[in-house]
Amino acid sequence: MDATTPAVAGGFEPRITAFVCNWCTYTGADLAGTSRLQMASNVRIIRLPCTGRIDPMFITKAFERGADGIIVSGCHPADCHYNAGNYHARRRFAIFRELMDFLGVDTGRITFSWVSASEGGKWRDVVNDAVTRVRALGPFTDYRKLVVDPVATATGVVPPEHVGKEVPA
Amino acid sequence: MTELRELARRLLSEGTVNAVLGWEEGPRGARPAFVTTPEGADTLIFDHRCVHNLASYLSPRRPHLKRLGKVAMVLKPCDARAVAGLIRETQIPRDKVVLIGVRCGGVITDPDSTAPLTEATVADRCRGCPDREGHLADHTVGTAGPGFAGPSKRAQKIEELAAAPAEKRWAFWQSELEKCVRCHACRQVCPMCYCDRCLADKTQPRWIESSPHARGNMAWHVARAMHLAGRCVDCGECERVCPEGIPLGLITRKIAQVVSERYDFRPSDDPAVPAPVGTYRMDDPQEFIL
Amino acid sequence: MSTTTFIRTEDLKGLVADLRAAGIGVAGPARTSDGAVDYRSINAFDDVVLDGQPRNSLKQFFLPPTEPLFKYQRKGSDVAILEISTTFPPRVILGARPCDAAAVDVLDKVMNWDYTDEPWFGRRAATTIVTFACPGGDRSCFCTSVGLAPDATRGSDLLLAPAGDGYVVEIVTEKGQALVTANAKRFGAGAGVEATQAYRDKARASVEGHVPARPDVIRAWVDAHFEDPFWAEISLRCHGCGGCAAACPTCHCFDIVDEPETLTEGTRRRNWDTCQTSVFTAHASGHNPRNDQCGRCRQRVNHKFAIYPARFNDILCTGCGRCARTCPAGQDVTEILTRIVAMATGQGGAA
Repeated sequence: MDATTPAVAGGFEPRITAFVCNWCTYTGADLAGTSRLQMASNVRIIRLPCTGRIDPMFITKAFERGADGIIVSGCHPADCHYNAGNYHARRRFAIFRELMDFLGVDTGRITFSWVSASEGGKWRDVVNDAVTRVRALGPFTDYRKLVVDPVATATGVVPPEHVGKEVPA
Repeated sequence: MTELRELARRLLSEGTVNAVLGWEEGPRGARPAFVTTPEGADTLIFDHRCVHNLASYLSPRRPHLKRLGKVAMVLKPCDARAVAGLIRETQIPRDKVVLIGVRCGGVITDPDSTAPLTEATVADRCRGCPDREGHLADHTVGTAGPGFAGPSKRAQKIEELAAAPAEKRWAFWQSELEKCVRCHACRQVCPMCYCDRCLADKTQPRWIESSPHARGNMAWHVARAMHLAGRCVDCGECERVCPEGIPLGLITRKIAQVVSERYDFRPSDDPAVPAPVGTYRMDDPQEFIL
Repeated sequence: MSTTTFIRTEDLKGLVADLRAAGIGVAGPARTSDGAVDYRSINAFDDVVLDGQPRNSLKQFFLPPTEPLFKYQRKGSDVAILEISTTFPPRVILGARPCDAAAVDVLDKVMNWDYTDEPWFGRRAATTIVTFACPGGDRSCFCTSVGLAPDATRGSDLLLAPAGDGYVVEIVTEKGQALVTANAKRFGAGAGVEATQAYRDKARASVEGHVPARPDVIRAWVDAHFEDPFWAEISLRCHGCGGCAAACPTCHCFDIVDEPETLTEGTRRRNWDTCQTSVFTAHASGHNPRNDQCGRCRQRVNHKFAIYPARFNDILCTGCGRCARTCPAGQDVTEILTRIVAMATGQGGAA
């Protein structure tokens, strides 16, 4: 199925936050736009100077605020504007991805890619792949519902946020 | 023990150091000691209850400890990795601390326990530990037991979790992390958590919600794990001190495994070995990147 | 009000079942997933574990580690406040420890001081505390040194002490009486209080003598020795983790934060806080009036044994010993207080 059209009219449309570097992927995404390539419109881009600037906290914050999926993208190895930012990011995100997997987050929600300024077509593919994948995974309610609704809290026998699952229904 | 006390007494009476960080008999069990007089050296002990990682007290950001002046620290082999970490990260100059290595054949989990050191009571991190003495020490004293064979129980638990479906892992970690009350004891005792102002305490912007609800706790434990990636020395203090009994060691151990497999790095007591995060190789594996 | 009645163990099991059937929440000390004992919701009396002090105190039931105060929504230039109810459904805490029950009563004073804390008193009104007389503690217990006892009734609605095939029930408050009246078929004639005396004496003997019972002396010394080198000495081993405050039944400081959830909505929450961390007193300017651990260790003792007594004529400590048990570095309140008394009475000084 084509990622650019919703699965079901009125059905779930994922919100995807993309953290991209200024020098390669942002320019590549710009090229995809000026080339009028068709791609899913679910991605909100946040431009940063370098993948080396992308703190894993950006990703947890995006999930906290309702993102269903994440894209992190920057310059190919050897192309970093600052020489080595992407090499540092590569190690950091290799570890981060394993951590999220260990904590039970489906790593299909987090996409990493190298997209150069000339790869408008690759950006389109990365976006469409990510949207198709996250659409299939559904909304990331697991993360959003981590905070119990206050009204429900007020009726709990024991503060549910403290003892959680051991509270009887 | 006599050897340790003699050495501490000599260092103090000769004026080599102003204080000796070691262990003493406290009201409930073994606990950290700060000996400032040669006579006080007789209170020093070392046995299988001396589980604390004293390297936390070397942090340059503890003004009340800095006032002690030059110190000597009693050092288990595993503590040597923490001291090496602090030297590697330029937190303490090597020549500003005297290190008294003690030979170690394993410790138990709870310093207040009266249990002997056996296969059943040994701290999990000591299972499979190959180090009987720290190579960083200026002096080495005592004798060591034979140590304990691995694998550790948490290595088995990590494998078990890794084999389970993602939803199971999520449920497991949520049930553990929601117990967290964010006292930050795990951070305070960690020898490698020495920042002046922790990310979790910053409010502009507030990256980590301070509320101890599952969402804030998730952010905190993710940040903690990431900041310790390739830096954790596996002293087990975070897990020991957690007042809610959260198995924090599983997370730090999992990350240590990843770092070891991908970057061939193990926590080392050699300060010259660079930490894996903060450095890179051009040909690092990148199978997860499109 | 101090009348007594009796409940057989079988009836206690039935009482829990009756309460649960009536939709009343019941909590008590029970086994946690990692094998410890802590207060939590229970479905049957068989879940209750009476040996061993619960890991946390009852504080969490009245002042949760985090709780929402209200939600806010921005609408244009206005802000709408969504109140959160401060009335709570009834619940019974069964198997409270006397030191934990007393702590709640101690805290009522500060919670009803400059203003009435609605969530606190909402939960207090909804909760009946059924305390079990303590079987005795370990070397860190010192309730008798702060005016309490292993069988103290303070803060409890009912106090149960074992005798024969059940428990002698002391009815302490009207709320306790109401619980007995509403479940009258479960209570009946049985042994009297005197049958529990041996149990009580044994418990008392196990906690006495760990700290001199001289709160007046401690208060006077602490008041007069703000700059004493003693504080610097004891603070050396302190990591500033605040584990003591989290475990403490009477530490009640909180922080208030606004947590945005979307661009226009969020929640104001209050969370546990502790004077043992540097950020507790940090000013926005960067200045920190209590900028090392020495002052923070002093503050903990000072607030409990001098400041709170001065303001409320009550000690902010029930002698439960949790701070000593939980401290990762072996800081021990019994040792600190004992040394203070020794210094005050001229039998020792700062080492």
